Amino acid sequence: MAVLSATAFVRGRAARWIAAAGIAWSALLLVSPAIAQPEATREYQIKAVFLFNFAQFVDWPPAAFSDPQAPLIIGVLGDDPFGSFLDQTVRGEKVNARPLVVRRYRAVAEVDTCHILFICGSEAGRLENILASLKGRSVLTVGDMDGFAQRGGMIRFATENNRIRLRVNLAAAKAAQLTLSSKLLRPADIVEPGKD
Amino acid sequence: MILPLLRSAAVARDGLPAWRARSLRTTVLACAALALARPGIAQVAATPDPTVSELKKLSVEELMDIEVTSVSKQPEKLLDAASAIQVITNEDILRSGASSIPEALRLADNLDVARQNSHDWNISARGFNTDLANKLLVLVDGRTVYTPLFSGVFWDVQDYLLADLDRIEVISGPGGTLWGANAVNGVINITTKNAKDTQGGLIETGGGTDLQGFAAARYGGKLAPDVYFRVYAKYFDRANEGTARGKDATDGWNMSRGGFRIDSTASPQNPLTLQGDLYSGDEDVTTGGTGRVSGGNLLGRWTHTLAPDSDLSLQLYYDRTHLASPKPSNGFVPAGTLTDDLDTYDLDFQYRFPVGRSHRLIWGLGYRFTRDDVGNAPSLVFLPARLDQRLFSGFVQDEIALAPSLTLTLGSKLEHNDYTGVEVEPGTRLQWNFADRRMLWAAVSRAVRTPSRIDRDLQEPTGLPAPFPSSILNGGPDFRSETVVAYELGYRAELGAKLSGSLSFFFNDYDHVRSTTPAPLTATSFGFPLVFQNNLEGETHGAELSFTYQMREGWRLHGGYTLLREHLHVKPGQVDFSHGLNETADPGQQFSLRSSVDLPRNVELDSGLRWVDTLHNNNGPNPGTVPGYFELDVRLGWHPTRSLELSLVGQNLLHDHHPEYGFPGPAREEIQRSVYGKATWRF
Repeated sequence: MAVLSATAFVRGRAARWIAAAGIAWSALLLVSPAIAQPEATREYQIKAVFLFNFAQFVDWPPAAFSDPQAPLIIGVLGDDPFGSFLDQTVRGEKVNARPLVVRRYRAVAEVDTCHILFICGSEAGRLENILASLKGRSVLTVGDMDGFAQRGGMIRFATENNRIRLRVNLAAAKAAQLTLSSKLLRPADIVEPGKD
Repeated sequence: MILPLLRSAAVARDGLPAWRARSLRTTVLACAALALARPGIAQVAATPDPTVSELKKLSVEELMDIEVTSVSKQPEKLLDAASAIQVITNEDILRSGASSIPEALRLADNLDVARQNSHDWNISARGFNTDLANKLLVLVDGRTVYTPLFSGVFWDVQDYLLADLDRIEVISGPGGTLWGANAVNGVINITTKNAKDTQGGLIETGGGTDLQGFAAARYGGKLAPDVYFRVYAKYFDRANEGTARGKDATDGWNMSRGGFRIDSTASPQNPLTLQGDLYSGDEDVTTGGTGRVSGGNLLGRWTHTLAPDSDLSLQLYYDRTHLASPKPSNGFVPAGTLTDDLDTYDLDFQYRFPVGRSHRLIWGLGYRFTRDDVGNAPSLVFLPARLDQRLFSGFVQDEIALAPSLTLTLGSKLEHNDYTGVEVEPGTRLQWNFADRRMLWAAVSRAVRTPSRIDRDLQEPTGLPAPFPSSILNGGPDFRSETVVAYELGYRAELGAKLSGSLSFFFNDYDHVRSTTPAPLTATSFGFPLVFQNNLEGETHGAELSFTYQMREGWRLHGGYTLLREHLHVKPGQVDFSHGLNETADPGQQFSLRSSVDLPRNVELDSGLRWVDTLHNNNGPNPGTVPGYFELDVRLGWHPTRSLELSLVGQNLLHDHHPEYGFPGPAREEIQRSVYGKATWRF
């Protein structure tokens, strides 16, 4: 019986600690002016900055813009993983005098004028259709799903060793009349369609 | 425990900005680099939310070098920086020619590593490196591997396919605030690679004089998108060492081991890990007979990322060890075998989040259940033979940005163990990045070493009839926790592009350290049995210096020096059978110098020279010393193709044989000069 009571004592102690920790934590929540809201991860913060870099290091044909000051539009197709990071990244930024604008699309049919299109993981099953309907348009397609560049996307974010690598399908970019700067290509892996 | 693992990830991943790491081909001073690296990154680390504008200033290459899942681990990263940490990377291990984890630990300047015989090692930081060394906490992928039998580590069974180790972090100084009891003088954190980073096959085999034969294989593949696995198996056979007299010590051994690891980021915000290992080995014992060791573990971990600097994680593991150790007869008591079966179930939770812009909080809860079942030998008895123990723990830590370059960390662990009840281990650290790439830190911490079974439950029967004492040495029923209050001061810097270094000083104030008290002296007792008590106190102090210098591209030098002074004494009015000498067996100084050179034609030449000062070995029948010694290890590696590596390693080359531990005498075991060759094929 002594063993039993000892156990009970221990359990009582543990329960009190948990309660104390809970109270302490709640108190902190109350006094704290701002608690970070659950948001997109660091990974997408970095990917958002990559998209911003793409805007600087990719040349679109003049026909892709209606006028010299027309905005450069970065679209997100599908379930947006960026939270507010992408908006924060491009806010107030201009590339060659063009303001950067973020648009979000639920379906590829909604994509009108768009220069960089991030195709979210939620669209993996529809990727071929999406790419087919963008065919002939100068839209830089970017994604992070497996096989994205192999399946015809232009730049894939591939995570390797916990770092983001770029896999570029140069043929697809060329077909869309896009020119990628060497600053982008030098550190990237060039993917032949069929290999990823 | 989850925490160490996360801490590990912290230093590992974003600790060392990769571009710097590569340029130095190094690491050892991860912290220096991490805290002091580029101004931009230092600031990322020092402010709660790394700003988008800082990221936007980076080049594409630099963006590609940022590790993506790491920033959430930053609070630990900062704390790690403000401690006497050394990091041994996978490359350091492979290039050193180390063939086991204890050999790899020689690469940490802040450890004392002494090999007793073919299969037994004594490893400690900042002193107390006796046969029953008990002041170091060791974790493998977040799994605590010390035995509650004596709060030490059976180093012979801590092993892995070394090519798949990610890193070993060695922190000297107390880690009790985060890690809890037994992180008194240091923490060793061994981390294996993510399965994603060990894709493809690896086969290695070879043999030599001490390491007579070995073979290992690993294969890593993909189970589903973003779900990776690896499986591995290895075997080795080690030869006998010798005795001082040049006789064969009959302590050869072999070990088979295998395991797996699965890592999934199928849901990027919910990384999952599942891993396990099994091992079994036979060890010949100098005093006769063959011991048997076996065990296994299974661990699962789930992390949920809430925001860039907020996440929670849950870890659960089961670990089993079996030990059968032949014990010789001691005259009146017959020979026999001591067996120990330990089952450990451990659950850990932790949650990290920022509060406002200047506070980063982390708290956690843990529960561990152990069932230790001893099969007593005639000469060595634990009573009760079977003991269930429960450990409850909780900790909270706040990291406060007082100013852009000044960070204060406050925290405490609270534990409840079945022997001594509640233990409190508070700590505070201050980190001051007073200039670009230069940092000063200071810390005051309290840690405890809670009783182990040997302190409480031990009996060493004499086998003598009634009027005479029935036991030589008994655990003390009132044995309490040993305590330390440690004061530390450190400096880390990158002095130019080629030189980085760290220097730390410590002063440790110990109380209630283990002693042995004789029984009242009568005509038949002769003062026996001795009983473990806590009658020692005292202080130790010392310094640890380490530096890395890039001589030129492809040639790196690393040097280290440690100084240790120990002053333990019997508390006034109390007694100790061994006059305060029983708990220490440490060299006063150590020095090491390593060189790694990349030669033309894909040839690598690595050498490591170490000097260990005279070791005063007190915990035996009579005090004695192990003479100071120099030793040299050399490795020559050649990569004839990208996938093949051939290497030749010579260890302990300066002496035919030399002792590293033990009492002077003809039976003291000595470590022999050895050579082995190895071929590694990756596909």
